[in-house]
Amino acid sequence: MQWWEAVEPIDQILKEGSKQVEELEVFLVDGIGISISLKAGVIHIASSSTSWGLGIRTIDNGHIGASSTSDPTRWRECLDAAIASGHLATKQEWKGLPNPTSIIPIARTHDPSLHPQIPTAIALIDSMVEGAAEHPAKVTGGAVDISRALITIANSHDLSYSMPRTEISISLQAIVGDSTGYEFDQSPFLEVDARWVGEQASFLAVHSAEGKEIQSGLYDLILSPIAASQLIGHVLIPALSGRNVHAGRSQIAGLLGKQCTSDTISLYDDPFARGMGSTDWDAEGVPTRRIDFIRQGILEQFAYDLKTAYRYGKESTASAVRSGYGGSPGIGVHNLIFEGSQSTIDDERALYIHDVVGAHTANPLTGDFSLELANACWIEDGGYEDPVRKAMYAGNVFDMLKSVTAVGKKSRIVGSMILPPVRLNNQRIIGK
Amino acid sequence: MQDIRYYDLRQVKGSTTHIDIDNGVIEAAGTSFFNDTVVRVLGSRGWGVVSLESFNPESKKALSDAIAKALTCAEVTTEDVILAPVKHRRRRLPTLAENPADVDLEEKTKLLLGIEQSARFPEVVNTRCTYIERQESVQFNDSSGYESSYNVSRCGYTVMAVAMRQGIMQMGRESQHTIAGFNLRHQEELGQKAGRTAVSLLDAVAVRGGVMHAVLDQELAGVFAHEAVGHASEGDLVKEGTSVLKGKIGDVIGNESLTIVDDPGIPEFGFEPMDAEGSSVMRTEIITKGTVNSFLHSRETAAAVGHGSPGHARAMPGDIPLVRMSNTFIENGGASVDEQVQECKNGILLIGSRGGQVDPGRGIFLFNAEYGYLIEKGECTQMVRDVSLSGEILKTLHDIDLIGRDRQMHQGYCGKGGQSVPVSDGSPHILLLNAVVGGSGTD
Repeated sequence: MQWWEAVEPIDQILKEGSKQVEELEVFLVDGIGISISLKAGVIHIASSSTSWGLGIRTIDNGHIGASSTSDPTRWRECLDAAIASGHLATKQEWKGLPNPTSIIPIARTHDPSLHPQIPTAIALIDSMVEGAAEHPAKVTGGAVDISRALITIANSHDLSYSMPRTEISISLQAIVGDSTGYEFDQSPFLEVDARWVGEQASFLAVHSAEGKEIQSGLYDLILSPIAASQLIGHVLIPALSGRNVHAGRSQIAGLLGKQCTSDTISLYDDPFARGMGSTDWDAEGVPTRRIDFIRQGILEQFAYDLKTAYRYGKESTASAVRSGYGGSPGIGVHNLIFEGSQSTIDDERALYIHDVVGAHTANPLTGDFSLELANACWIEDGGYEDPVRKAMYAGNVFDMLKSVTAVGKKSRIVGSMILPPVRLNNQRIIGK
Repeated sequence: MQDIRYYDLRQVKGSTTHIDIDNGVIEAAGTSFFNDTVVRVLGSRGWGVVSLESFNPESKKALSDAIAKALTCAEVTTEDVILAPVKHRRRRLPTLAENPADVDLEEKTKLLLGIEQSARFPEVVNTRCTYIERQESVQFNDSSGYESSYNVSRCGYTVMAVAMRQGIMQMGRESQHTIAGFNLRHQEELGQKAGRTAVSLLDAVAVRGGVMHAVLDQELAGVFAHEAVGHASEGDLVKEGTSVLKGKIGDVIGNESLTIVDDPGIPEFGFEPMDAEGSSVMRTEIITKGTVNSFLHSRETAAAVGHGSPGHARAMPGDIPLVRMSNTFIENGGASVDEQVQECKNGILLIGSRGGQVDPGRGIFLFNAEYGYLIEKGECTQMVRDVSLSGEILKTLHDIDLIGRDRQMHQGYCGKGGQSVPVSDGSPHILLLNAVVGGSGTD
């Protein structure tokens, strides 16, 4: 189905639904994608996909209902299910879905030159494999995924916005003996660096081989953006959600206006930055803006969608996100940017941690974690030194953020975050 | 145009019912619908795949268009894929004591609210309970003319409680998922357990990391089997060279009483009546008495790697089949928990899990316990919180000293290649010597 055909059910749903409930919202994703997977250095699977999905939300007298379907012919059933689910939901304070406003498009969400085409993906695979050949590691796996979708939101207040979204993600895995390396790149634009990804994956495998033991103790660490993003994403982002704050599930609920990290750290959501979540409107059609969560270490703001904002007498921060077309929108971030005092962080000796194993086992409430390191090595005078074979890193995410001494100069996109490497002093490593 | 050596089609239609109750507020209670199809084609070399929504399998044109499109994709592949012969057989599905589809949403919501409320205790500041039910209707056919279809129903809930005292917060969490039918009745005890755990954890201490003996409860030891052995035995990882178990068939890698099994055919949460390629499912002993015995396979990896049979290919609706675990467990031994705690003398008893992760190529895994108790002079003493264990696949299994006789299975979801599938893991209690324990404690 093409997007112009998809618009028709939206109008029908809005017309039909308006007869039954006070307000309703339709969210539609219509896209295509291709992906190529590489196994043991050869192209193993090539696939092509279409994705079409419809989410309906209804509001009637403060009762919010939702349903979704991937079948365009079943929209009536989906509408009925949304209304039925609203009957069961607890009534809440509700002040209306947004009215249309004239949004000046700023966020760049797609690259007109990026098409989900197999030859594009093959060329990227070739570049990654070429890059990997820079070091004597064996390529074990890899992937290129390219997608293009049109995302539309419409509601019974005549709001109707559409946005094309393109995404490309590439990754490569390599191995030397039992030393593995993995690297990836992702972007809404055709600007991934495939050769670098390949080169980096095989470098990590080669450089991590024959790692040395490390004694348990306190060490200065540098967390790569990949390692840092996993801990921040698993613990800090949920703690910033207004829903968790008011429900009694956020460790930092009482810290508004107070210091919660090192005083050099700022954390904000910039929906207009060049990132994976760039957007001019959130998943409820509220115009987005920059949200400063933490400024110079001081906690200034939590994230709200309409539902949570109405319930607790706050204002939506346009932080509603959806992971697909299904269900209700939840609270999240678009492009979470982590900034700190920039400096050359790898001059003084530190343990560099490229990745961690098991970040999702961190306690999402308290922030306590103990994780295994992946591709860890000593770093000094800006150069990688001896690798560390095996060790754990134990701590607490909230304490960790108070121990940041400086951040590196180069940030990278990791999912919905954009962040630099982070230097921390006196962190607990469990080794031999 | 190249030849089509093989094709298959797997369509999964169904609905998902989700209820979310947070501090007594019914945040969501509704049903959504899906209809996802994957068509796979083997051209002269590798796989071409098309995934579609709302596919009409009755339409010959739709099928031939999908096959043609998949074949175009297959043309760029450079791997020569061979498929092992398949035994087609579909097992009977477990009988549902009560079909969740027959219970109306209002009643489900009311029952869930009862569980959520049972987690409330003094000092508990938040309780939350979520229910998820999936009704799937699966249709499979392949180019050999084999056709099969079945309906499967899975449901379950998670209850969570957060306790707070003087700014310190802790949480307790319990969950139960099943394929045996509706399971929300008379479950208040599990809600109470979540609440009590949250409150008890307020007095727990963080353990100081290091090397110590550890007794693992059934849930945690099940996660250990899943992370330490299960993933590394997946035939696709062995084939591509990212498993330390490659070339280790016949090698002794653990205690001679240790047998680890994956069995999609038993009526646990990871049950499959047949796998996602229509292959018959069976019990696979990955480790038999400490020796690497078999890998888990799809048709493709069985042909390429050997040592095992197809029947372990699984897929999320709309995704390609991957080699996956289903119901993975350590077989019972003979020790009692008391014997294990006494034998441990000084160490730690670890309970529950938030999961784990493994780098199978490097052979290093990590898994996490929700809480535990210090073992001092053969007795359990102080409660501890948030403990992780890490280890090396080829070394740690030798350190299993005692295997209990009280195996239990626990349900969860396992992620791989962007797909999440229902699994169960289980084990009796086990005593692990010289475990590398991570904790954030400082004294």
